[in-house]
Amino acid sequence: MSVRSLTVQDGAHGLGTMLRIVGRIQRRSALIWMFTLSASMVGTAASIAALYDTAAKIHTYATAVTTGKALVAINGKVEGIDSLGGVIQDEFGFLAAFLLPLLGISLAARATRREEESGRLELLLAGRIARRDPTLAALLVATATIVTTAMLFAVGLAICGVPLAGSLLYALSLGALAFVFAGLAALLAQLTLHARGVYTWSLIALAVSYALRGVGEVTNTSITWLSPLGWAEKAAPFGDQRWWALTIPVAAGLALGAAALRLASRRDLGSALVRGRAGPDRANARLRNPIGLAIWIHRPATLGWLAGGVLLTGMMGALSQQLLDAMTGNPALADALGIANSRPIDGLVAATQLYLAVIAAGYVIGAIGTLRTEEAEGRLEARLSGTVSRARLLASHALVVLGGLMTIVLGSSLVLGLATALPVGDTAELAPILKSGLAYLPAELILGGLALAVYGLRPRLFGAAWAGYAGMAFIAFIGPGLKFRQWIVDLSPTTHVGNPPVGAIQSEALIVMTAVAVALTAGGLAAFRRRGIPQG
Amino acid sequence: MSTPVIHAEGLTKVFGNVRALDGLDLTVRPGEVHGFLGPNGAGKSTTLRVLLGLMKATSGHVELFGGDPWRDGPRLHRRLAYVAGDVALWPGLTGGQCLDVLGATHGGIDERRRLDLVGRFELDPTKRVRDYSKGNRQKVALIAALAADAELLLLDEPTSGLDPLMEQAFQQCVRERRADGVTVLLSSHIMAEVEALADRVSIIRRGRTVISGTLADLRRHTRTAVHAVTVADPCGLVDAEGVADYQRERLDEQVDSRFTIDPAHLDGVIGRLHAASIHTLTVTPPSLGTLFLQNYGETLDPDEGASNDSREEASR
Repeated sequence: MSVRSLTVQDGAHGLGTMLRIVGRIQRRSALIWMFTLSASMVGTAASIAALYDTAAKIHTYATAVTTGKALVAINGKVEGIDSLGGVIQDEFGFLAAFLLPLLGISLAARATRREEESGRLELLLAGRIARRDPTLAALLVATATIVTTAMLFAVGLAICGVPLAGSLLYALSLGALAFVFAGLAALLAQLTLHARGVYTWSLIALAVSYALRGVGEVTNTSITWLSPLGWAEKAAPFGDQRWWALTIPVAAGLALGAAALRLASRRDLGSALVRGRAGPDRANARLRNPIGLAIWIHRPATLGWLAGGVLLTGMMGALSQQLLDAMTGNPALADALGIANSRPIDGLVAATQLYLAVIAAGYVIGAIGTLRTEEAEGRLEARLSGTVSRARLLASHALVVLGGLMTIVLGSSLVLGLATALPVGDTAELAPILKSGLAYLPAELILGGLALAVYGLRPRLFGAAWAGYAGMAFIAFIGPGLKFRQWIVDLSPTTHVGNPPVGAIQSEALIVMTAVAVALTAGGLAAFRRRGIPQG
Repeated sequence: MSTPVIHAEGLTKVFGNVRALDGLDLTVRPGEVHGFLGPNGAGKSTTLRVLLGLMKATSGHVELFGGDPWRDGPRLHRRLAYVAGDVALWPGLTGGQCLDVLGATHGGIDERRRLDLVGRFELDPTKRVRDYSKGNRQKVALIAALAADAELLLLDEPTSGLDPLMEQAFQQCVRERRADGVTVLLSSHIMAEVEALADRVSIIRRGRTVISGTLADLRRHTRTAVHAVTVADPCGLVDAEGVADYQRERLDEQVDSRFTIDPAHLDGVIGRLHAASIHTLTVTPPSLGTLFLQNYGETLDPDEGASNDSREEASR
């Protein structure tokens, strides 16, 4: 056997081993992603197919959402919207714009920098595995997951009655979108020192893509072509069907991936372009206090969710005038947003507040989940071996999370109020907007209480809190458009708020919900005081 | 005798169908350094968590400073500092910030000692924890505990990840704290460390205390290993009182004898060796390692039982 063939065989062996390892690490999360994404896509498609079952209904929808440019900025411009596939693409557009890039980012980040940061990669690279193999394996596994998801999309759409060619092109354009972000995250994993950095910079890139597409669509310029989200849209699966447009994201993803591989094979293990700097050598008085430390722990997440809330309300506010014009021109649009039969401005605020409630509830669950991380990583044990009691520790966190929630709700509502007031020129809407935002607090707190109860009783089952959240988000985002049965809509606490300011705030329901939230919190606290720590 | 700082009797702790503790007894007296020995998984960390009131024992009795740690944890914690087995710090804080946060967590921190320890352990307090090596993270937790105004230090395998120089610094610091009157419970599986520091030792196995006492107590019941090279054949050694495991080998012009001896009969045997004209002689008292392994029912060659460094000391 020649030396060269030995090397080739060795290389193949290393990559094979690495593929099996990455496959095993990713199996669970990849399956969850594939299942969740296909289920929400097929669920949306099937409901739309049932709801818009005649060409006339589809036409009404199409004219509704294309009047004005507001929705175009949010969901993207759907070419060929006057078809079943077009309606699906439009309805799924908002979720798809975030979920598919996230799929690519998480698949790539989990298997690369996270493994390197934890030191596990060092162990593997000491074996018969080349330096670039982990990145290559991560990209291959990510690609396989993305292709499978796209195939499930295509089959699901075809079953719902969407033409095969359009289904396939649409599914592939979404897959290519995820692929670009997988390549980007793989590259960022080579540049930043920690997995956290990979997520942060990837999400910033996603926000920029989203903004670029929005600007491009509203101004009707070629700026759209600068955004990966624009590339997916320009494939026009239900319009002109530009198959060649798929080559742009595929080429971009390959280029990013190749750059990542090149860096991976050249740089030192554990090195990074962006490194941490020195910090203060003493903690200030605030950090030494339980509440101060809790504020420090929750601050990044609070700012992140606040940015999300402000982005949403700012955009809705800025586009309010156009959206109002569109709704006056076409009542079917209001119907699609679930805000028919009301003052258009109230309808807009109500829809935005519901979306904001979903963001705020996500923050609360994530923040309680942070406690679980603190415990699993052993920091809670260190804290509780001190003079702070369990009740005081948990109460400090609960208080800080409540403060964060108020900041997110009030801050975002304020932005909505100001953004709608600026073009109109009066601030009469400000008070009702803030009031509507606050009215959702009990619904958000129920989710927080649920999260605390699960954390207190069985931290291992924390996924249940997120499952409850996913149900609530699904009902809030897609429920009105799809006209779910009432009992399903009633499952979400947000339903019982009364849809202010369109409907009256249901004070009694709010009191009941607050009581439930308090009971859940008390239960969680009592359970937390009784159980052993740490519990993974 | 004064009340013990820690007193545990018949502790059991069951997780599902695993008995992590199975009738554990432990008494730590004020002012002593108590070595808490056992292999991985013997229940050392679980015991410490029960002592801290982080976990509730399934049955048995536990007292910390005469109080119940499960009911009265935070008040009792004011008087102690704890270093967990897996040191966990906040990755986004600097080492110095973590020191202060941990210091605030404990009853309070002695500023002068903090400054001194940061220097002695050569810690850069301006670096973020996520950029620290494992050893540096360990140093942060150790400094926080050693600088704390505490009467009791609970240390769970405190030197894992430290280099030998820092291990020396650690031992020196523990001796200083002991001189200040601080009680220390030192959980470890490193014999040399416990041997160097501990006044008393408890060895546990599968959640149960197998033996407890001072090192001298424990040694009294075990055998000393002797390796002698003599010019003549030492006569009568095989049948001498207290001798066991006798092995003899004739080298060119010398006789190489190895055996173990009951400490009470050491004198007589040395006399016989002397009569045969000693060329070299190595007498190795039982190391903690030997004691430990004996309690785990291992049978060992007399030479293997002694650790390398203590043998060197004896032959010097």
